[in-house]
Formats: sequence, structure tokens, C-alpha cells
Amino acid sequence: MSLNNEEINRYSRHLTLPEVGMSGQLKLKKSSVLMIGAGGLGSPLGMYLGAVGVGKIGLVDFDIVDHTNLHRQISHTTLDEGRLKVESLRDTILMGNPNIEVEIYNIRLERENVLELFSRYDIIADGSDNFETRYLINDAAYFSKKPLVSASIFRFHGQITIFSPETGGPCYRCLYSEPPPAALVPN
Amino acid sequence: MLPGVVGLIQATEVIKLILDKGSNLIGRLLLYDAMKMNFKEVRVRKDPECVICGENPSVKELIDYKAFCNVPLPGSEILEEIDESVYELSPQEFKYAMDQDPSAVLVDVRESFEWDICKIEGAQLIPLSSFNPASSGLDPEDSLYLYCYKGKRSMLALKELKKAGFKKLKNLSGGIDLWAEEVDTDMPRY
Repeated sequence: MSLNNEEINRYSRHLTLPEVGMSGQLKLKKSSVLMIGAGGLGSPLGMYLGAVGVGKIGLVDFDIVDHTNLHRQISHTTLDEGRLKVESLRDTILMGNPNIEVEIYNIRLERENVLELFSRYDIIADGSDNFETRYLINDAAYFSKKPLVSASIFRFHGQITIFSPETGGPCYRCLYSEPPPAALVPN
Repeated sequence: MLPGVVGLIQATEVIKLILDKGSNLIGRLLLYDAMKMNFKEVRVRKDPECVICGENPSVKELIDYKAFCNVPLPGSEILEEIDESVYELSPQEFKYAMDQDPSAVLVDVRESFEWDICKIEGAQLIPLSSFNPASSGLDPEDSLYLYCYKGKRSMLALKELKKAGFKKLKNLSGGIDLWAEEVDTDMPRY
């Protein structure tokens, strides 16, 4: 795998950083990341992963762009209202960087499909918005031995960590062994 | 704007994992508070008792996550199980019944910030967060028409009222959100 002249030019400010360089840029190009959620977190996450040259990005979301999403889910514009979120985010990512591959999955993540999907990617990035999916993703990432870069937000608070029990860190269940009562969970 | 900040930190961590550079967030939970504008860091450790990655795991394959997350609220079992459908009215039925009912009292159980966005004319606000049938000033003889945003919280209030001896109770099915869609289309939705 190598970079063509357009890519060398595009990533030149990376190539001159010793921490990235040609070898780092090729690592990015060879890598694949599966993102769950194409909303508030997924928008900036996908746009940046694409722009910096992650070779393959998978997007999972079953939702469509709603008017009330637009003020924070910045990859979706007013013109995208009513479209599938995965299609809208894919188009935004590819407009930023057409050199990469974006695969979309307009599905709800379930225990029947999650392991097969995880097997196709190196890293899982969770930007989902409910506990059911979070536990599912945690367990599936553990069984798949894939690092899980996890982020969540509530009102004015955010949390970010990496779950990688394989390399000694905790998993989501180590921190939150039980979900909260369903009646207390905000939408 | 909060998701932007958090999503970009997430992106940074993904890139560092790929490049295998720097010190990453494995074993550290980063907490961001936008109002206080600070970041805090908490050390997080593997739990040896963890049911999945602990020393004696009991979860060895994927489970039913819907059932796992359906945890009841402590104390919720004291609320009587009732046939909710008896009390539910569609927005049109709700409006019609209220218009025909001279003793109708319309109660909004949402919180005050929601009330400030929109409300049904003639309603009184009694937020569920401070809801108490005894001190509400409501009369058990009144026929009460209850609503909230989607219809769930007003059903909780309805059950409390039923327990307190109120008999004439109706719930707006789908809440003010469906009302705005089907009855008062000029009403803003949120």
C-alpha cells in the first residue's frame, strides 16, 4: 500500500510530523473503524476520521435526520432532513476526503448481527445513546477482542474512555455492572 | 456543541490507537463539564468480579439486552397494575370529551421549562417531580384530564391519583406532542 501524489499533498502536514510521518499515514490508510451512531458524536468523529485518512469507516445507525437533530449533529444539513443518517454522514465524509471507503449499515445493532460486523473492523467507536446498545457493544467488543473507544454525553457532561480488557484495562461492565432503572433513563 | 468536543476527543483517541502513539485513555475515564468548563480524570480498573472480563465470568455469550436493561424502579411495584387502555384517549377524543364535560379540569404534569415552550389552553401545571394528589388542590370529584409530553408521565400521575381515590381520570395518549400533530397544528413541537 502506498500514497498517490494527491494523497501525499493532502496529508503533507501529517507527513512532516515525526509522530505520524509516511509510516503513520499508511497505518491510518490500512486501518478500519466501525462507528456506532451517526448523530451528535458520530458527526464530528466521522468527519475527522475521514479527513485524516482512516482507510475504511463503517457507519451503523437506523435513524433518519430529524429537524431537531440539526442544531448539534453537524454533519447533517437542513437539506438532509428526512434522509438516512448513515447516508447523510457518508456523503459529508466523502466530500471531505474522497480517497477513503465508507460502508453504511442502516440497521439496528442486535446480538444476531453484531459479531459478524465487528469482525470486519480493527477498532469500534461507540457513540450510541442507550444502555441496551452500550452493553451489547461492550460484550461484543470483548468477545471480538477489539478495542472500544467509548464516548457518552448527557446534558452538559461528557465521558470518554477506551475499554480494552485484552490489554489490562476495564470493560464497560467493570464500571457499570448494572443498568439504571428503566424509568429513570432519559430519552 | 458538547457532542463536538466529546466526539473530537473520541476521534483523537481512535487515531492514537491506530498510530500507537502517546498515552491513551485505557484505564482512565475523562469527564468533561461544559458549564464548569473543566476536565477531570478518574482512574478506572478492571473488576476481578466482572461477569464478562473478570476471573470467573458468567456471561460467555451475548445475552438478551432488552431484558437486561428493563430494570424496575425501586418501589414501583407498589403502584397498582391497571388496564391503562381504559384511561387513554386519542387527541381528538380527549378534546371532544373535555369540551362536553363541564367539570373538566385539565392538568399538565410536565416540568416548568416544558410549559414555557407550549401548553394547552386552560391547563394548570402540576409537575410530576413535585406531584402529590393530597396537596395538589385537586378535588376527587373533578374529572381530570391529564397530559405530559408523550403520555407516560401523565399515566404515572393518573395511577397516583387513582390510588388517592380519584375516579374520573383520562390520559392524553401520545401527550402534547401528538396533540400538536393532530389537534393544534400551530403549536410548536420540541
